[in-house]
Amino acid sequence: MSYFFQIVVSGIVVGSIYALAALGMVLIYKSSKVLNIAHGQIIAAGAFITYYLTVSAGVPIFFSFIASMIITFFLAMSVERIFLRKLIGEPIISVIMVTIGLASIIDGLIYLTPFGTENFSFPAFLPQTPLSLGGVSISWTQLLGVIITFVLIGGFSWFFKKSTIGISMRAVSDDQLASMSVGISVPRVFGLAWATAGLSAAAAGCIIGNITGINFDTLHAFGIIVFPVVILGGLDSILGAVVAGIIMGLIQQFASGYLDGNFGLSGTGSVLPYVILLIILLFKPHGLFGIHEIERV
Amino acid sequence: MSANSWLATGNFFTTYKQEQRTFLTSLDRSFFTFFLVLLFGWPLLFELSNKYMLVVDNILIAIVAVMGLNLVTGFAGLISIGHAAFVGIGAYTIASFCRTLGDSHIIVTHFWPVLIIISGLVGAAFGALIGLPALRLKHLYLAIATLSFQMIFEWTIQFMTFFNQGQTISVGRIFWFTGEIGRTDHYLSWYFIILTIVIILGFGIRNILKTRYGRCLIAVRDNDRAADAMGMNPGLTKVYAFALAGFFAGVAGALHAYLYRGVGFESFTLHESIGYLAMAIVGGLGTLNGSFWGPVAIKFLDLQMEHLSEVAGQYLPSGMNLTTAMKPFTFGLVIVLFLMYESRGIANWWRITKSYTKLWPFRY
Repeated sequence: MSYFFQIVVSGIVVGSIYALAALGMVLIYKSSKVLNIAHGQIIAAGAFITYYLTVSAGVPIFFSFIASMIITFFLAMSVERIFLRKLIGEPIISVIMVTIGLASIIDGLIYLTPFGTENFSFPAFLPQTPLSLGGVSISWTQLLGVIITFVLIGGFSWFFKKSTIGISMRAVSDDQLASMSVGISVPRVFGLAWATAGLSAAAAGCIIGNITGINFDTLHAFGIIVFPVVILGGLDSILGAVVAGIIMGLIQQFASGYLDGNFGLSGTGSVLPYVILLIILLFKPHGLFGIHEIERV
Repeated sequence: MSANSWLATGNFFTTYKQEQRTFLTSLDRSFFTFFLVLLFGWPLLFELSNKYMLVVDNILIAIVAVMGLNLVTGFAGLISIGHAAFVGIGAYTIASFCRTLGDSHIIVTHFWPVLIIISGLVGAAFGALIGLPALRLKHLYLAIATLSFQMIFEWTIQFMTFFNQGQTISVGRIFWFTGEIGRTDHYLSWYFIILTIVIILGFGIRNILKTRYGRCLIAVRDNDRAADAMGMNPGLTKVYAFALAGFFAGVAGALHAYLYRGVGFESFTLHESIGYLAMAIVGGLGTLNGSFWGPVAIKFLDLQMEHLSEVAGQYLPSGMNLTTAMKPFTFGLVIVLFLMYESRGIANWWRITKSYTKLWPFRY
């Protein structure tokens, strides 16, 4: 039974990071209806910047965590400013393809650095002995990661619900023309949405980097697995992203805990989310919490 | 129809049949015939080394695949990020024949045209399956559906021992009427075969676009709800588009398998999918001749990048992995730049040049 609970705990750990990563994608989709394919690359960039600051520049890890969030904030904002600002008003399909191109560009840039091919791991800064509770163990890094994740998710929800900028973001997502007429600068809101998404992505990347070690392939796969999460949760719902993230984490951990090794299967954890995604798209395409839009000609 | 069949001086169609002709004037037809003769004739006049012949063959295969992608992304307006996986389905259809029958079985070596068509059909079946969400959904969700198909495909190939877990599965040499095609003639003879297939499929697409279905496609892309109101079925139209794209991709995959005489996993990854998308965008989405320009441009760029990274690699520290970095970087840059500054692609440059030379010395 403790095996079962161990899987539940690690599922929640992984799932909450998925939720944090998915949050950024939901933010961008909610404000500008653009699906950011390059999200995984921003996550990876966040992790690499934190690592660089901590190890090569010798900054204490908490400061470098915050610094990488700030750097990625401006990085994502400038990406929006340089590449996507020109495309406002173009069909959504070409904007999505631009993000595919961006993902490819960032891939190329990362391959130029040692991070593209080699593995790194953060220096340990927390006690190494895992916390044990009735046979279920959780490492301090994982615990801290989950706590930071939930604090950030709470912060983002508050920001989106209560702050002026958050309200203007929601207004823009509802109706761009109407929000312009009440004095909201739509391009600025888009920029801010990208920037906050970059910020949350950097946080997610940093937490994953601490838990699993820094490897570009892992971080890359992480960025793609966010898609099943946002689809399951509904593309425009923050609550959906959180719930779906945890569900997806649990599914993955249960698959690798119970399916792998039996029936001659291996690596099911990395494919099951996509199978589920295809099934969701067929039967409940707007996800658990997504809004079903009624379109008119 | 104007009196002169060589020069068009306006649209004077009196019947629908006239409008549906492939060539507008006799001049167009003779230019096209001349071009085809040139395409078939040049390898007989110039000796090209096998290395560059392989590049030319690769371009032609990419043209087949991109024609399919252009149908689904350009004409139906649905992004497909999993096109390399569909190409892979075609290649692995050939591979599974080789695994079950042996790579030099008579079916593989003698009945390869049938196998190529079968690969296309298998690709079409998978395309329709992945396109099923299109019955209810729009472009954005389909991009994710194709992406997840790509991931499932990669996992399946690497997992199953039947597919050699992604390691190369060899495919036998084919037989022509004159006997087995040997090592020296391999790339040259495949050039002629693939060129023939490209021409057949190109005419196929051109004709499809003139039928009721082709017009449905464009109507659905431009406004699916309006198309629905006009009595078309947008969902089915999109599913068919995916099936057709799957067919083209399957054929391309089968050709790839035969050309390289082997099927390996690394030719069908996500990077390759993005490469196909780059070709379609650079060529010009929603145009037929864009599917020809795109692969030529991108493969040429790729070749130049390889040269460049070979040269530059000598002056760089060994830790920098320039060859793996260059490809995604240039593909991405080309996609972004074309979408930002010339979203109609090279096909638009071609259109401008053509109308300029046709009307010269007049402006219009």
